[in-house]
Amino acid sequence: MSLAVSEGAAARAANQDWRDRLYRFYNSQAFVAFLFLLVPVLLLAALKIWPVFYNLYLSFTRYELFEPPRFVGLKNYKYVFTNKTAFQSIINTLLFTIEAVPIGTALALIIAKLLDQSIRGRVFLRTLYYLPVVSSVVVSAMIWRWIYSPQHGLLNYFLGLVGIPPQHWLNDPNLALISLVIVTIWGSIGSNMVIFLAGLQDIPRDIIEAARVDGANAVQSFLQITVPLMRPVILFVVVTFTISIFRNFGLIFMLTQGGPFNRTNTMVWEVYQNVFGYLRLGRGAAISVVMLVIVLILTLISFRVLRERQGA
Amino acid sequence: MANPSLTRNTQGSFSTWEARLPLMITYVFLIIGAVVMIMPFVWMVSTSVKPDREIFGDMIRWIPTELDLQNYSDAFEQTNMPRIFANTIVVTAVAVASQVLLGSMAGYAFARLRFRGKMLIFFALLTTMMVPFEVLIIPVFLLIKFFPLAGGNDMLGQGGTGLINTLGGVMFPNFVSVFGVFLFRQFYLGFPKEIEEAAIVDGCSRIGVYWRILIPNSKPVMGTMALFAFLWSWNDFLWPLVVVKEDSLKTIQLGLSVFDQEQGTAWAELMAASVMAVVPVIILYIFLQRFLVSGGITSGIKG
Repeated sequence: MSLAVSEGAAARAANQDWRDRLYRFYNSQAFVAFLFLLVPVLLLAALKIWPVFYNLYLSFTRYELFEPPRFVGLKNYKYVFTNKTAFQSIINTLLFTIEAVPIGTALALIIAKLLDQSIRGRVFLRTLYYLPVVSSVVVSAMIWRWIYSPQHGLLNYFLGLVGIPPQHWLNDPNLALISLVIVTIWGSIGSNMVIFLAGLQDIPRDIIEAARVDGANAVQSFLQITVPLMRPVILFVVVTFTISIFRNFGLIFMLTQGGPFNRTNTMVWEVYQNVFGYLRLGRGAAISVVMLVIVLILTLISFRVLRERQGA
Repeated sequence: MANPSLTRNTQGSFSTWEARLPLMITYVFLIIGAVVMIMPFVWMVSTSVKPDREIFGDMIRWIPTELDLQNYSDAFEQTNMPRIFANTIVVTAVAVASQVLLGSMAGYAFARLRFRGKMLIFFALLTTMMVPFEVLIIPVFLLIKFFPLAGGNDMLGQGGTGLINTLGGVMFPNFVSVFGVFLFRQFYLGFPKEIEEAAIVDGCSRIGVYWRILIPNSKPVMGTMALFAFLWSWNDFLWPLVVVKEDSLKTIQLGLSVFDQEQGTAWAELMAASVMAVVPVIILYIFLQRFLVSGGITSGIKG
């Protein structure tokens, strides 16, 4: 009988031991991490990592969706750099960047600097400046198309008041890109301003104060203290702003469709055209790869400058 | 938003005219700038409530002589607006819920748990943040088109249309965002460890700690994530354009983008439809902007 009792106790103990082990496994860091990361990591691998490599593979193939991809070597890249329209899209993207980024960044920095004071209505003004950022590209494009309208548009009306004849903003080869640049700057000042406002918080007030005591006026202290100290933040804004221009598809789709005469045909539009217009997936992939390489180079440059800055 | 550093930045004495001058210039510049920034929106609203003869008149009228709300009902009827709004709300709600949940789970794992391959996975994800979605549109499109066992596809994804032309296809790339994973990781790294350790000593499991302590205390970061996810999903254009063909599945941005082509230059209806598309976003932004600004500072990246 005593034997039976001890057997039961042993079984209970074994059972307890088994449960303990199960709980310890269930509560182990590795198991919880596996459980929590499984879905997000699988999704991100499928949506962010695999596509990079598959895109690279497709860029060396001819693929029109109905037959399997066929390897063609560097033919697509040759096309990108020799075809007039495709190469023009690279030039246009760079032109777009050069026209929008310096002015847009400078305006955002000046506005951030002016808003970074204890003035009345500060929060309200900041909200107004940020509004174009929350509005969608489609809505922004619709409004601006109406403003740019040659016959009854607001812009031509204003220009008429000072005696400038009406322009065909979006249909004039010399004005189309500038028209898109204006909308882009308008739509991005808010987000860049927020980054600058955050950066300005880190500038010690005593430095600005000391400069003022030494007789520097507001403009001098802005140019000689704020701008140099904000260099890393400015660089960050320049890079993210440039990348956002590379990604800017909606405006071109809604306002110019790449025209007139390819003047607003940027890389992202050229990808879309090749893939969903002509079903040339390989060519589209090659342009995407060129885009990605430019974006990565820009990002790495910004990391390097930021690190040097921190090291100094 | 209480900001201690602002109070330090006072202009000193305002007694003299010279001291006031910079402030005056600041105001003039900022107000002119703000007027330029919101003028397009004012013009949109103004156009949307005008009768046609005032829109195409010779004079520019900011405030119409009579309110004409006909444009709104016209826009509403011509685009099957209830259906479009329902689609957008479903797609956005799923994106917000999923990005908050998955972001918080992954963020917790990276912030608090030790496991093999953590740094490798972490840096792999960090790298993907540099890759814009637009660059990957072809493989992601193919993934959706050849999605196994969906839309008449077989196990290998052949034979049908996959998730093309479904709301699931529109949602798929928005289930998780790397930005969200990092946002939550940063937040949990700054969360006091002592509370969690005390709970573990008291016999709480790790999942229990996450569920009972971290989740209830994550409201600010969840607000930021939810607002960003809402904006991305509500304003998304390229992806729905590529995936959706049928009118009954269109989201608001897509519905708006084709509106014009169908209607010629019906500017009043177009502006009315634009107002309807942007008002939910602006309302949400005004009420929740503290989340957006704090998130914008840590990320600095839009979209």
